[in-house]
Amino acid sequence: MTVESQPPRPRLAAGREHVVAKVGEIEPGDHKLVPIGRHGVGVYNVDGTYYAIANYCPHEGGPLCSGRLGGRSVTDERAPGGASLVEDGQYIYCPWHQWGFELASGTTAVKPEWTIRTYPVRVENDEVIVTA
Amino acid sequence: MPVSRSREAAGRAHSEEETDQVSDPAEDVSTPVIDSSVHVFFRSNADFRDHLREPFRSRGIPDYEMQYYGAPDGEYSPLAGTRDGEHPGSDPDLVGEELFEERGVDIAVLHPMTRGNLPDRHLNSAVYAAHNQMLAERWLDSGTYAERYRGTVRVNVEDVDGALKEIERWHDHPRMVQLGVPLQTRDLYGHPRYEPIWKAACETGMPVAVHVEVGSGVDMAPTPSGHARTYPQYFGFMALNYLYHLMNMIAEGVFEKYDGLKVVWADGGADLVTPFIWRMDTFGRPHLEQTPWAPRIPSDYLPGHVSFVHNSIDGPPDPGIAAEWLAMTGKEDMVMYGSSYPHWHMGGADTLPGGLTARQREKVLWRNAAQLYGIDVAAPVA
Amino acid sequence: MTVTQIHERVPAPALVPVRVVDNDVHPVPKNGQFLDHIPEPYRSRYFMRQRFGETITYDAPDYDEAKAMRMDAFPADGGFPGSDPEMAFQHVIMEAGCDIAILEPGSPEDIRPEIATARAIATNNWLDAQWLSGQGNWHGRWRGSICVAIEDPEGSAREIERWAGHPYMGQILLHAEPRPSWGHPKYDPVWAAATRHDITVACHLGRGAFDNHPRPPVGWPSYNHDFMVTYSLLAANQVMSLIFDGVFERFPTLRIVLVEHAFNWILPLMWRMDAIYAARGGDVPHVKRKPSEYVYDHIFFSTQPLDYPEDKLELTRSLELMRADKLLLFSSDYPHWTYDDPTWVLKHIPEDMRDAIMFKNGIELYKLPESVPPIEGQRRVF
Repeated sequence: MTVESQPPRPRLAAGREHVVAKVGEIEPGDHKLVPIGRHGVGVYNVDGTYYAIANYCPHEGGPLCSGRLGGRSVTDERAPGGASLVEDGQYIYCPWHQWGFELASGTTAVKPEWTIRTYPVRVENDEVIVTA
Repeated sequence: MPVSRSREAAGRAHSEEETDQVSDPAEDVSTPVIDSSVHVFFRSNADFRDHLREPFRSRGIPDYEMQYYGAPDGEYSPLAGTRDGEHPGSDPDLVGEELFEERGVDIAVLHPMTRGNLPDRHLNSAVYAAHNQMLAERWLDSGTYAERYRGTVRVNVEDVDGALKEIERWHDHPRMVQLGVPLQTRDLYGHPRYEPIWKAACETGMPVAVHVEVGSGVDMAPTPSGHARTYPQYFGFMALNYLYHLMNMIAEGVFEKYDGLKVVWADGGADLVTPFIWRMDTFGRPHLEQTPWAPRIPSDYLPGHVSFVHNSIDGPPDPGIAAEWLAMTGKEDMVMYGSSYPHWHMGGADTLPGGLTARQREKVLWRNAAQLYGIDVAAPVA
Repeated sequence: MTVTQIHERVPAPALVPVRVVDNDVHPVPKNGQFLDHIPEPYRSRYFMRQRFGETITYDAPDYDEAKAMRMDAFPADGGFPGSDPEMAFQHVIMEAGCDIAILEPGSPEDIRPEIATARAIATNNWLDAQWLSGQGNWHGRWRGSICVAIEDPEGSAREIERWAGHPYMGQILLHAEPRPSWGHPKYDPVWAAATRHDITVACHLGRGAFDNHPRPPVGWPSYNHDFMVTYSLLAANQVMSLIFDGVFERFPTLRIVLVEHAFNWILPLMWRMDAIYAARGGDVPHVKRKPSEYVYDHIFFSTQPLDYPEDKLELTRSLELMRADKLLLFSSDYPHWTYDDPTWVLKHIPEDMRDAIMFKNGIELYKLPESVPPIEGQRRVF
């Protein structure tokens, strides 16, 4: 599918296409901060799947994408300590207050209504393209 | 026997002028009244020991009084009727006359005060059992007002097996409506060692009331900075210790695991739950990853799990904001009127803050406790 | 990241009004900066012979990596957040837009008061040399704190005397945890020295090793979450001790700023103290006024941590009810992970309270200039 053949989208969802990287430029587990919007957008490669999320924490405005990737802890009765980490690398934690957001959805298991903006990413012809 | 009753000290906790000035149409609404915290005692040490079996009867046991923190001029209100030489709150007829005939209370939930957190858990369980026995036979099963009384089963959290036996012994009693445990503990109530008691509470449908244990036991100093030099500081802080328990129970997932558990903070202080649960929520967002056993935002665990007995010092002084304040954090569904009779700060329904709505007064005086304890007083008992 | 110092170090001549005073920024010594400042014999006998390790007991999220810091505040040279005056200047003054910041170094408590005082002396000497009087304060925007170890009241008074009159020392700083609470007369030398020189006293939480934690009377919290939330009870108890023990009657000009203890609890605590005073004033004849009046005349709170409910209008209402413009000072807590950005804090403050909270109260309490030379490129918050 090419950019030109995209079906018409609703006006509110309209976004510009940004070629942000070549495939291979962002290693799995790594990210690239690209100058989209006022605060930039972080483009993440999680095991070959790309995600894009605003570099702005909705809590106090911290630089979200300077934070660490992590997972989500769950109860695990078999594990010493009773908890395990799952989905490691699929959450970004803000470097200021450690609020975590799932890269794929911008949401959190704790409180789904605290969802933040994420952007569609796709790969075409060796290029990583963000619609924002 | 002569009855001494002094009216001079009326309204020590809240001046009557203050409440009289509040013109509140809600005051006129007639509603059933449940007094959710009336403190009962043995008549005397001899009476107490009569209810103890050996080998405990001959043991050394502290009095009801507290070593450093008894209220100056007396722990009990002069309004509480006593017979010569007997402990206030020990005579079912006198207490009933005061509550039901003079104060317009319909149902009273009785909470036996005991003798301090004793280090010998066997002895303490025997002390609790004696109080429960006295409560049942003297207040709930016989006497003029037995139908109006409900009881609290005191259980020893330092003796979980003993506590379970005591629950087993009483939970079928038709007028025993809740369990009673001390506010002063060695571990917070989120600790898993208490879980069998919470489980039994859920299984028997009994709420758990937490109240300051009177008497001189093995308690820590009452504030996080150690001892208080004045009674007002002690009294001001002591009840607030519930916040340590509540926040720990939330973080430890107690309410997640025991969905039917209902806790009553029986020394009041509901006003403080608002700022502290805001703090718990705000700080919860980043910390919940450390406690996956309590996955919800902390304030979600309050409704249906947490109640407070109103204390006569509680509530804002300005009637213009009382209704709004009680609505915040859902406190209007948590607070239950309770007199704390016969303690010095005991008070009638007039110690509720002025300015509550009729609906709120109805909840606080009646509906919240009726629902929690399953007390059916749709119409005032004749 | 390397902090490149490209700006002109000569302030422009015209002045701009101070619009944000930040009363809580935490500098720390760079490696090797501290030891020489410790007085003998403690330096040789103790500090040079003792290995200091991590003492964390209640850990913030991702502690091993983030160390409870803003992760973007780690300097590129491998130092600790708050160790580089230039980076702090960039973050706090230039980017966040605080015009003047009060520096509050940590000077840990100790089980030996003389060791704590030796540490405080060294902290003050180091802060003056690196941040206040030298090139570290080329812009003149830093103010310091005279750190004292209140567990050593006489040593604290000597340290206050040593620094009183220093042009950049804005306040006295002590920790909230030493026992007993502050109404005890043993601390009077500290309040006497502070009021003799009319210097505001700030009280920050110490969060030191276990022995210096607040000691919860009913058991220990499990997690940093419930630990930090209930930490505020320490300050609530200190407020009650200061008032009911009559400290403000003994020292009528004493001003106390409670830093990082949260503040929403002061509203219901004032009601509580006033109600207790109305009922039990006779127990504390040395207390002459309603407790809330002492709060308004003597006690201030930092805005950080700004806790809020789901419905932020309730926070607004709480600020109005407590008359927050009389009680609050903006603070950021940079570079700690609980940092509050001034632009974000400002959004929560009713407009008619903004000036008081963001700068006026700070200017008054710390005798700060009302305007400062501008620095090109500095953010203006409002």
